[in-house]
Amino acid sequence: MQNSNAKIINRLANVGVAVLIATLFAGSAFAVEYGGFGGRPAYPQAGNPRTESIFVHTLNPGDTVEEGVLVVNNSAGRKTILVYGVDSTPSSGGAFAGEQLSQTKDDVGAWITLKKSEVTLDPATNEIVPFTITVPKNAGVGEHNGCIITQEKLAKAEAKGGISLSFRTGLRVAITIPGTLIRKLEIAGFDVTRKDDGSFLLQPKVKNLGNVSIDADAQVVTKYFFGLTHITSGGQYPILRGDTSEWNFELKKPFWGGWYRSSFAVEYDANPEAGVGVKSGNALTRLEGPSVWFWSSPTPAGLAIEIIVLLALIFGGFLLWLSRKRKNWIRKNWVEYEIKSGEDIKTLAERFNVSWKLIAKANKLQPPYALKESQQIKIPSLK
Amino acid sequence: MHKLMRKLLGKLNIAFALFLAVLMTGGLGGATYVLASPTSSFTQTINAGVLSTDIVDGSYVTVASPTFAMNATSFSWSCQTVTGSFGSTTPSTQQIYVVDPSVTGNWTLALAASNPTDVWATSTPYLTFDFNDPAGDGCTGGQMTVDPSGAIKAQGQYEHGVSGISLGSSFAFNQGTKDSITLMTSDGTTFIGDWTLKNVNISQKIPAEQAAGSNYSINMVLSVSSS
Repeated sequence: MQNSNAKIINRLANVGVAVLIATLFAGSAFAVEYGGFGGRPAYPQAGNPRTESIFVHTLNPGDTVEEGVLVVNNSAGRKTILVYGVDSTPSSGGAFAGEQLSQTKDDVGAWITLKKSEVTLDPATNEIVPFTITVPKNAGVGEHNGCIITQEKLAKAEAKGGISLSFRTGLRVAITIPGTLIRKLEIAGFDVTRKDDGSFLLQPKVKNLGNVSIDADAQVVTKYFFGLTHITSGGQYPILRGDTSEWNFELKKPFWGGWYRSSFAVEYDANPEAGVGVKSGNALTRLEGPSVWFWSSPTPAGLAIEIIVLLALIFGGFLLWLSRKRKNWIRKNWVEYEIKSGEDIKTLAERFNVSWKLIAKANKLQPPYALKESQQIKIPSLK
Repeated sequence: MHKLMRKLLGKLNIAFALFLAVLMTGGLGGATYVLASPTSSFTQTINAGVLSTDIVDGSYVTVASPTFAMNATSFSWSCQTVTGSFGSTTPSTQQIYVVDPSVTGNWTLALAASNPTDVWATSTPYLTFDFNDPAGDGCTGGQMTVDPSGAIKAQGQYEHGVSGISLGSSFAFNQGTKDSITLMTSDGTTFIGDWTLKNVNISQKIPAEQAAGSNYSINMVLSVSSS
């Protein structure tokens, strides 16, 4: 009976330990979970996956479209979030950004009318803020960009010196006015810059000469001196109307070092049927940019390996040289000799004052190096 | 009887432990759960993830009222440059953090003043100098340069690497032509990810004979925009 009770107590103890361990592991899954706030399009269009993250419309002058932005609070606290429309502005490097609330709107920002300018959301809640986009009758042909911004409403902080930061999330609003749409890119340059840590920045530049944005596939291929591909860098980027986009693709310091050649090319859909998130299905246009040769010293590990290989090659070369020299000497100075009865390789070596191994090697003799009477071999001349 | 209990305990050991673990973890983590009666109906909402940016500490906890100071300098008769680092590790970790739960699209992380006409200013007395005046190579009114090209980018809390994430180049603010400076961009190939950015170098040219002040400040906005 006592034995049974002890077993039950033991079992319960096991359960306790299992609970503790499982709790610890399960708890770690909830450890550091960040939740921000922001927005996303409330009504994405089927067939255009880009509309899950930005607003895309083709509208005629005078048209109005109903839209909605889903404002989300995933943070742990109740937040009042400002929602407003602004014009777009090219950020440095030709990237997309929205202007500030304080700036005058005269493009898409002015076409947007939101039903609410702010929403207050409890944690883990959301609300759709409806808005309309009304294109003015004098809007020009081509793509116009603006931005719907979500930004936390905060009391103005007391200046403490330094830079005070606030945060916001922008959703691009791309409105295309039909007409003669020009989709044309031009390569504006390509540089390779060495950084202080020995790595490189591959910096291609592409200019959009058209009147709509173009999603371009920018690729930099870096090859070894002998033509083998070392690495391919790049990605898909929108190049906004009238902008020159430039990117910094990082190239880690090459392990082996040496001369490398980086070449830049860009591919895009130049067909007028293409649009933001819409492919025409026709062949892509490819532009080849310049190539840049550059030198990189090897990494310390690469250098160590290279030195070892170099020393091995030098030593191998020396052995080869020695072997050839010996062969030449044998060819010039050794003569044919007929083996007599009772002679073996050792007696010959002693008689001609040379290593028996050298005689074996010069005559390609195999173990056990037995010599037959009347056998012809080469031996050093006695002269 | 004891044999039966032993068997039951043996079978229920793991299931019971897991049940209690989930219950306890939920309790500790502040999660809400419902014990259902036979007539209850369950609904569950998974709130949509959104692209967002913030300044967080080393544990990915939002830093309240983040600011960063430029290195102190003294009054000078000539134009001088002060430097600072945006997203630092000292005295405590304050890293720029971007979360992108979307499955499509690119984004840009950019820094701009809350108004291009803003200036570095003290409250009392009201002293100012500019952050985006290119005149005199930045020495006439003052000009700020942001250089993210040498910054440290890294994946955040989750394993996805930094493929497709590029750093911006060094640029100086120039009112009307360069109001926003790109810190980092994504080509959209690594979706559902989070990234950090540290050590973005900032330098500010201060005009000659700028009056001394202890609390020159300026408001800036860190924006992440899907494109």
